[in-house]
Amino acid sequence: MELDSLREAFDRVVEKRALSSTKVQEAIDQIVTEIEQAISRMQMMNTDYMGSCDHSSIMAELKAKLNEMVPLNQLEGCQKELNAALSKYLKLLEKSFNPDISKAYRNVDFEACTINNIIANHFYRQGLFDLGDSFVHECGESDGTYLKLPFQEMYGILEAMQARNLEPALSWASKNHDQLMQNSSMLELKLHQLQFVEILTKESRDEAFKYARTHFAPFVSLYQAEIQRLMACLLWADRLDKSPYAEFMSSTHWDKLAEELIHQFCSILGQSSDSPLNVAISAGFQGLPTLLKLTTVMAAKKQEWQAMKQLPVPIDIGPEFQYHSVFVCPVLREQSSDENPPMLMPCGHAVSKQSIMKLSKSSSRPFKCPYCPSEAVASQCKQLRF
Amino acid sequence: MEMAIDTPSPSPSSASPAPSAAAGRQTRAAESVRLEHQLVRVPLEALRATARTNHRLAEKEIAAVLSSASAAPGDNGAAAAVDHLTSLVSRLHGLKRKMEEGARAEELQVQRCRARLDRLAAASAGDDGEWEDMRLKRILVDYMLRMSYYDTAAKLAETSGIQDLVDIDVFLDAKRVIDSLQNKEIAPALAWCAENKSRLKKSKSKLEFLLRLQEFVELVRAKNSLQAIAYGRKYLAPWASTHMKELQRVFATLVFRSTTNCVPYKVLFELNQWDSLVDQFKQEFYKLYGMTLEPLLNIYLQAGLTALKTPFCFEGNCPKEDPLSLDGFRKLAEPLPFSKQHHSKLVCHITKELMDTENPPLVLPNGYVYSTKALDEMAKKNEGKITCPRTGEVYNYTELVKAYIS
Ligand SMILES: [Zn+2]
Repeated sequence: MELDSLREAFDRVVEKRALSSTKVQEAIDQIVTEIEQAISRMQMMNTDYMGSCDHSSIMAELKAKLNEMVPLNQLEGCQKELNAALSKYLKLLEKSFNPDISKAYRNVDFEACTINNIIANHFYRQGLFDLGDSFVHECGESDGTYLKLPFQEMYGILEAMQARNLEPALSWASKNHDQLMQNSSMLELKLHQLQFVEILTKESRDEAFKYARTHFAPFVSLYQAEIQRLMACLLWADRLDKSPYAEFMSSTHWDKLAEELIHQFCSILGQSSDSPLNVAISAGFQGLPTLLKLTTVMAAKKQEWQAMKQLPVPIDIGPEFQYHSVFVCPVLREQSSDENPPMLMPCGHAVSKQSIMKLSKSSSRPFKCPYCPSEAVASQCKQLRF
Repeated sequence: MEMAIDTPSPSPSSASPAPSAAAGRQTRAAESVRLEHQLVRVPLEALRATARTNHRLAEKEIAAVLSSASAAPGDNGAAAAVDHLTSLVSRLHGLKRKMEEGARAEELQVQRCRARLDRLAAASAGDDGEWEDMRLKRILVDYMLRMSYYDTAAKLAETSGIQDLVDIDVFLDAKRVIDSLQNKEIAPALAWCAENKSRLKKSKSKLEFLLRLQEFVELVRAKNSLQAIAYGRKYLAPWASTHMKELQRVFATLVFRSTTNCVPYKVLFELNQWDSLVDQFKQEFYKLYGMTLEPLLNIYLQAGLTALKTPFCFEGNCPKEDPLSLDGFRKLAEPLPFSKQHHSKLVCHITKELMDTENPPLVLPNGYVYSTKALDEMAKKNEGKITCPRTGEVYNYTELVKAYIS
């Protein structure tokens, strides 16, 4: 986009606006001056009477002068110039932007209460509790507490961590020990590690040793190497910062662990660690330009947009939005399904089951891979699962 | 769409990556900036409206002063003439103050217009996370303003420091009209129509006509037939050439009265007519300021959910990272079309990363596929043994084969 030419056109609007505004002020001042002069002449006439002129001739003179000024026409001209600059800028906007982004909008029931719930959840998810409460109150959704409570717990834990207090985090982690293990997360051990280093640097070696014995034990079988390294820290108790293990003291551990905690906490809640609203809107921004082009093309071909079940073309959005494996058979150019799964030929190329059926004349004879000179028979092909 | 079997593409390559991921991201970013029409348009319309109002006021007042000065009484003596002129001067001083205020309002709007252009410059200047975060907040404020959640809208704008990027005062202006219509008062809405007369006419708006109809119906409801007829002559007759049918229908209510059970007339007396006036007003207001008729949030949500919607989203094992794993989003996505892929896109079950030439898919003897990255790591940790996370079967790394997927 030509941002510079937009700025230029807008500068022109600003210039004309300022001019128009000054002209109005000037016109007012000018009229005031003329009238005030007339007034003072009349007052002078009153005090030292000269007889040669009376107030009606002063009035007549004033009238003539005001008529001469024609300030109204001037104002009109300025306003016209401003309007011209405005229309030019508006036209440039129409050209530089997509003036109607709702062309791809489907007029379907897009329930406000569903959207409101999503928004309330988003605010609480981001720790914006005041906004969340205010929103829930204003939109009159029955009750936001069930959305809010879990996130209040999460932000409580995070706040304590900010203040270098690990107790709430540790107690949450031990309560969710099994699920964390299932997610193969090292969160709990890492929290104990932080606590261990805190005790080691702030209290005593003995305390740290005691702590390690009680809390590392359940993890020894899984994370032997990590725990060995930690125990070695005991040797450097009073000068850990100069030891090979100095990195254990780095404050980045705290930040990383806070992130991991958010991730695990949301995951156990059944949510993603990114706000789902954020994800959906970002995908919308990336996908909408293609959808708009598509609606234009379809309208030109008189095809129905509103009722279509599947888009005719792919929408190019970033790989970060790809959550599912999609296999498209390169021969049939169709997405695979339970009935027509992807198959691996012995050469390593993959096509759909239907393609193999076609190539092998229903498994009746060997066939050549469409992508390389290798030959295969249907029974050698293996179904793939992604 | 097409089913024809094309000649298969030659070279055996893994899942085809986009020409260049970075280039793709940049094009997408540039394209999405082009969607921001409303952001730059609304403050400009506000500026235009303020400038017009100021100009009209100046014109009117100056013309009045000039004609009054010319028509000044000539023969009531000098003292009377001085008094008259002095009153004109103070009137002009008053106008000047108003013009100064008006200029300040215009300058504020100029500043807003500039802030938005600067914002667009920030889109291409790097910090994507910050740009996206602000963008979502702007869209949320827009949604709340349209839904009349004014307090939260103002709070969100204030706490995130984006007051110059949202149009709270424009919406508050409209709120006056909306509130009065909800209280069954027509006057502010009519005044709004008068202020924007020429532009409403250009867009063939019939809002004023509908407001006049409602006033007429209210007179009939109050059994003020004579007044109703007089009102109809004065305010409805001018619309006869374009809206004859509606006109006839509403005049017929003079006979049917508000207690009628005759369907086409009964609806005219229903109270939800006022709600539809509110809706009608909102539509005209959005159009006048160059806004979309739907909240931006709804537009982007629909587009996003369409892009994300695959049949796999509705299966039990849909990953939590996919918004479509959540009931609310699923419900919204229901009437939307499924997206489509022309090329295979494979996501590693373990790392959740896309598999491509850099990180090709490997097949276990049981047919399950994972990324090279994930399996290399697993093999390193477990002395060359691979455990399929979904079936628990154990294999040697050497048993894996590479899959070429085009
Ligand atoms: Zn092959």
